[in-house]
Amino acid sequence: MSTEPGTSLNKVYGSALESLAGLQDGASLLVGGLAGHGEPEGLLEAVIASGARALTVISQGAGAPDSGRADLNRLVESGAVRKLISPLPFHPRQGGPVKDLWEAGRLELEVQPTGVLAERIRAGGAGIGGLFLPTGAGTRFSEGRELREINGRRHIFQPALRADFALLRAASADTLGNLVYQGAQRNWNPVMAMAARTTVAEVDSVSEPGTLDPEMVITPAIFVQRIFVRSD
Amino acid sequence: MPGARLDSKSMAQRAAQEVTAGEAVAIGSGLPTAIPSTLPSGTGVWFLSETGAVGYRASSAGMMVDAARNPVSAMGGGAAAGVGDVAAMLAGGHVGLAFVEAAQVSAVGDFVHWTTAETPGLAAPGFAVDLASGAGRLVALMRLADDSGAPCLVDQCSLPIDGSRCVSLIVTDVAVIRVTDGVLELAEVAPGWTSDDISSITRAHLSLASNLREMTFETPDLSWPNKVFATASEALSDVPDGAIVNVDGFGGPGGMAHYLMTALRDQGAKGLTMISNTAGIARVARFGVPEGVTAIDHTILVENGQVAKAIASYPVSPSINRPSAFERAYQEGQSDLEVSPQGTLAERLRSGGAGVAAFYTPTAVGTLLGEGKEVRGMDGRQYVLEQQIIADYCIIRGHKADTLGNMVYKGTSRNFNPVMATAARITVVEVDEIVEPGQLNPEEIVTPGIFVNRIVRRPEGFSPYLETA
Repeated sequence: MSTEPGTSLNKVYGSALESLAGLQDGASLLVGGLAGHGEPEGLLEAVIASGARALTVISQGAGAPDSGRADLNRLVESGAVRKLISPLPFHPRQGGPVKDLWEAGRLELEVQPTGVLAERIRAGGAGIGGLFLPTGAGTRFSEGRELREINGRRHIFQPALRADFALLRAASADTLGNLVYQGAQRNWNPVMAMAARTTVAEVDSVSEPGTLDPEMVITPAIFVQRIFVRSD
Repeated sequence: MPGARLDSKSMAQRAAQEVTAGEAVAIGSGLPTAIPSTLPSGTGVWFLSETGAVGYRASSAGMMVDAARNPVSAMGGGAAAGVGDVAAMLAGGHVGLAFVEAAQVSAVGDFVHWTTAETPGLAAPGFAVDLASGAGRLVALMRLADDSGAPCLVDQCSLPIDGSRCVSLIVTDVAVIRVTDGVLELAEVAPGWTSDDISSITRAHLSLASNLREMTFETPDLSWPNKVFATASEALSDVPDGAIVNVDGFGGPGGMAHYLMTALRDQGAKGLTMISNTAGIARVARFGVPEGVTAIDHTILVENGQVAKAIASYPVSPSINRPSAFERAYQEGQSDLEVSPQGTLAERLRSGGAGVAAFYTPTAVGTLLGEGKEVRGMDGRQYVLEQQIIADYCIIRGHKADTLGNMVYKGTSRNFNPVMATAARITVVEVDEIVEPGQLNPEEIVTPGIFVNRIVRRPEGFSPYLETA
């Protein structure tokens, strides 16, 4: 018995573009991956194809330019991104489109330490409004911020971060949206899965419910609304 | 004419001498990525990467990557985790040592990460701020002077710093320099270099160590410290009176460390603060307990007069006619109680493990449990401020562990265990089976061994029930 895509029993969409239905100009996107590892390449390509503009992207940042893959560099180069929030927005030695557009004043960059960004996203996913972390006290990352001395140490207030969409890469899914990852794919994907209104996972394969070992599921289906199966 | 400047491999070899057995060591991007391969693959150390690799080794065929995006694989006993998991290990104080590549280090130990120096006008640190804020000890690798001859060891950093007063040792291409209370001490020089040669290429004032010596490059031979204890009593022998103890379990006897709990009772430490979901209701609620037997639960500690305080979400019996031992102790004034909603309790523990001092949750706003707590409105919703919990000890039940402490659970026995394991100074686990490192799938490890200090095997046939008529 087959069910309509987009229902809670079948979250598998026919194409990457269809899985991004509802993506609008000005939307915010959490994008998993570490420059070339565990990035949702098919979904990034589909974002470009969707024509959505003025996007805010939250991600680890772009890797070396000219990777030959659909990556964050290419998305930024397409002009779709207005703002990038990242710990390391572009390759520090090789630069690339992110650096070029930022220097030209056409892309806004907001830098946050890696763990601060991860903790803000996790808070967003867990319903926490904000939290106090010591990371970055005494550096520029505490300037102008709300500081509080707790347990004898300076802490910085960090508000939760959520987004309209999360675009993830995982190894496999079941049709309900339970996800397992492989190796480096784990990176940002599980935490980002929690913190978006619509989470879309790009996977190599999809199977029937019950085929994934429950002890191995990293992202429970509750967090996943849509699945796109790569064809390569 | 001084000797040659050291290459990155020699710097990595010298840096590797700082690693101690059993330690969690975070490897930052740039020069430090050469460190793991200077040590034999069986070295008893956890190398961590910002990419989520926990316990990795260099490997061209690996499925994970290091901070330089080189392929690496899990060592026997390594695990795949997320970027945020590794960041939380650092912020939570679980990482003893971190290596960074610095562009500048100042006399007080401030530093500028290489990526910050390479992105002028933006100052992007990647993972460096996390490494600097979280690691127990920070060692910087850098060249003493850059390509233009400009010194990298400076009185004050000229670029935005990524860590304040955090570098304790600097391994350079010509010398090793200790940073102590604002004093830079030249401790070692590269072969062919003298202290005068070193001073001539840096503007910072260097004092000379009394035992100034030449750098060496042999890397240490480190074995894993033993975590496996023969009995639960030995694993808990040092719990002092007044200790704060995380005790796992949910409601019934499942997922509860009965063997450790019994040993803690027999050990007899008094005045304990016990953190648990219930303060022991398995005996009165009898969830899944067969007729004619009585479940071992927290009650044995309460009845033994060891519990001065409980922090719990469900500290009462489901039936008013069958009060739990803790309820009676509380009513008689023998034990104190702090109630936390269940999710808040889990989040407070998670915060303790992840270095989050306090957080705002909407749970319990406007209820008795929110009273007296700071309330804050954000985005049209009210939140209360809750504090982290960190215990002295944690006793939990797992299914299998390897000898490094990596753990997997079984079914709902997972309950509070993974989060409690992160929020204690000494985590002691009771498992059905102990296996060799590498026998657990890196993708299935739920609690990485970094969080586990002691392991005991639950004796075969150990009964979760008290011997009663």
